[in-house]
Amino acid sequence: MTAPVFILGGYQTDFARNWTKEGKHIAAMIREAVQGALAVTGVEPGEIEVGHVGNFAAELYAMQGHLGAFLIDVDPGFAGLPTGRHEAACASGSIALLAATAELEAGRYELALVVGVEQMKTVSPAQGGDYLGTAAWYELEAKGVEFPFPKLFGRLGDEYDKRYGLRDEHLAHIAAVNYDNARRNPRAQTRSWYMSEDHARGGGPYNATIGGRIKISDCSQVTDGAVAVLLAAPAYAERWAARRGTRLDALARVVGWGHRTAPLTFDAKIAESAGAPYVLPHTRRAIEDAFRRARVADVWSLSGIETHDCFTTSEYMAIDHFGLTAPGESWKAIEDGVIDFDGKLPINPSGGLIGAGHPVGATGVRQLLDASLQVTGAAGGYQVPGARRFATLNIGGSGTTSCVFVVGR
Amino acid sequence: MALDIRKVVVLGANGAMGAGSAMVFAAAGIPTTLLARTRDKARLGQARVEKLAKSEAISRFLSVGTYDDDLDREVAAADLVFEAVSEELALKRAMFGRIDGVRRPGALVATVSSGLSIAGLCAERSDDFRRHFLGIHFFNPPNVITGCELVPHAGTDPAVTAELAASLRDRFGRALVRTADTPAFCGNRVGFELLNRCAQLALEHGPAELDLLIGPHTGRAMAPLATIDFVGWDVHRAIVDNLHAHTSDEAHASFALPVYMDLLIDAGHLGDKSGELGGFYRRLGQGKEAQRFVLEPRSRDYLPAAKLAVPPVVAAMKRLHRVGRYREAMAVFADEPSPAAALMRRVILGYVSYGLGRVGEVVEQVADVDRIMGQGFNWAPPGLLVDLIGARRTIALLEQAKLPVARLLVDAAERGAHLHTEPGDPGRYFVA
Repeated sequence: MTAPVFILGGYQTDFARNWTKEGKHIAAMIREAVQGALAVTGVEPGEIEVGHVGNFAAELYAMQGHLGAFLIDVDPGFAGLPTGRHEAACASGSIALLAATAELEAGRYELALVVGVEQMKTVSPAQGGDYLGTAAWYELEAKGVEFPFPKLFGRLGDEYDKRYGLRDEHLAHIAAVNYDNARRNPRAQTRSWYMSEDHARGGGPYNATIGGRIKISDCSQVTDGAVAVLLAAPAYAERWAARRGTRLDALARVVGWGHRTAPLTFDAKIAESAGAPYVLPHTRRAIEDAFRRARVADVWSLSGIETHDCFTTSEYMAIDHFGLTAPGESWKAIEDGVIDFDGKLPINPSGGLIGAGHPVGATGVRQLLDASLQVTGAAGGYQVPGARRFATLNIGGSGTTSCVFVVGR
Repeated sequence: MALDIRKVVVLGANGAMGAGSAMVFAAAGIPTTLLARTRDKARLGQARVEKLAKSEAISRFLSVGTYDDDLDREVAAADLVFEAVSEELALKRAMFGRIDGVRRPGALVATVSSGLSIAGLCAERSDDFRRHFLGIHFFNPPNVITGCELVPHAGTDPAVTAELAASLRDRFGRALVRTADTPAFCGNRVGFELLNRCAQLALEHGPAELDLLIGPHTGRAMAPLATIDFVGWDVHRAIVDNLHAHTSDEAHASFALPVYMDLLIDAGHLGDKSGELGGFYRRLGQGKEAQRFVLEPRSRDYLPAAKLAVPPVVAAMKRLHRVGRYREAMAVFADEPSPAAALMRRVILGYVSYGLGRVGEVVEQVADVDRIMGQGFNWAPPGLLVDLIGARRTIALLEQAKLPVARLLVDAAERGAHLHTEPGDPGRYFVA
């Protein structure tokens, strides 16, 4: 990267909240997250030079577009702030981050506010499932299909099964680890829910099949949430560190990024990767790009990963795509306990999308915030001891848009 | 240090609190035995646990039995005996007598009593029993509501209290508060002071009007009189009668059960659980066809529910909450001159004053009362309300209302310090 981008801090709303039950407009979510980030960092609103909002589908869920403009409502100090909104399905948050980091690297601004937000509990699960279908090629893959995404990610599992073999008990372990980690995270949606590997392996009325090989326990959550982070170029970060009585090298920074887009339909993706070792080669490339830019030799240089487990199959895919195992051998890392909280390379200490929750447009920002908390030793109950470097993987659609960040000190 | 609890026995496991508590222990992977009067009742408790956990797999950690056939053997093997039988002193005492005879020395015994004296419950027991006896007050349903009061009595071994506190926090995920062994502990004392005051005010203002005014916009998930219907009028009476008989502070009059409630309870009106008899609210029929009625406390008649006009102060607060402007909503609360706003202030400020007043008597810090009102009742905690209104403004309002002003509030105003220090989003308490 041309110049490092520093992560000063941020704020995540409690993902267990139901903002519709609270009678709240999406403006309230943005407001709470931004005010939280300002309070955590001690940044004055007037210092912020640009605002980016990541959001997938507020037009559908909340009948509201033009979300960038809602930043102005948060504080009089934001009067005139340049803002915009970014969309790439479940990777919307990361796209907002990429826009902000690009501007900071280019020297256009020194201090940027990035907010990821999604309000999803405004509609029934079936209606929400239909809205999420617009992250696929709607007419071809989602129209008239009940819960299209579990079916698409079930097919990802089927593709692994076909090429390498896949046992559902390994998926059950992924679910159990994410729920278990979520119990350590006071902002995780499922922190007080019951889950066990036994339960995830079983079916029955409490763990029904949603589509294909995907059961309830394999799914991430329908979540309301917003996350705000403050990103800074070196000049501002240096002044800020001095003001806070800390040093620049104690701050988290974005040290590498990757961003690739695969064909939209799942059929086209699978046709493209037929016979290749990686099932989602563009996701693999995004990871390789990020590692190269971050000068990271391989995955073992990381202390942990926050990955996109929208379903257990997507985390299964991430394990070999990150290089924890050879292609098709993710099960080995699962059986060896590598991805467990106290494993050699913990995945999703926060609980991930399954445990912490998945407010679609907020997820990428939440992952980056969690990575920055980890490398600065500020993750509290879900801190990975001694973490120095974390990676995030945020995916939009059925493996369509892949965004990766490497965060270090 | 946390305790090594490897086996729990729950007595009264068929009830809501027994099953809910059993779920908390089993969810942590601890073998838990559900005991009830009959095996069928114990199995009912097991079904309740599965339903709460949304899992049949949790039953791997559950076993069932009866008081007659299994209690002696199961209690002898338990590290923690958790008593959740009905709230009758004689019944609980008899149960503890039996447990005292069979428990192994050092085993913990806890009661889930929501207000009886912990010292009184174990007064006749052996020394070892008394040293290991405490109150663990969960709130219903405990799998969702994590607030929890831990109540040692004067004779509880302090090491046992400390270790159990660590376990409840770290292993069972409880938002824990240690309280003194005083009537109804902290949460119910502060909470039912507001609830019963609302029941008293309903006589003059009407239940629906009062619930509209002291509704979710004042920082709660459910309006006060609807809450009493949900809790059950018999439970409400037991709690406030206990408080009226055994406390003598500034809120003593607030704990007097209104006569109309006494008469209606005797006629079978217990709130939601008494079906079509109802409580403050009554519903005849189901779904869209249902006819809704509201109690008229003076005549004790039920009148058809009318569409009420929303008072402007309520509408203004809701509009501000909806967009996350909680501080501005509380400024409207503090400043609006209408009689409706004055009544709202009287109720909420009474709660703030009484809650802060219990610091030093029932709990040690503002954080404790804030935690139990927030995590136990899902109400905006007193300290948070002060922070949003402003300490100086709150003091002025309390003085105007002739309510006690806690010393700690004056200190906070002088130092310009925040009272609310609990983690979590403050906005979650305010419903638009």
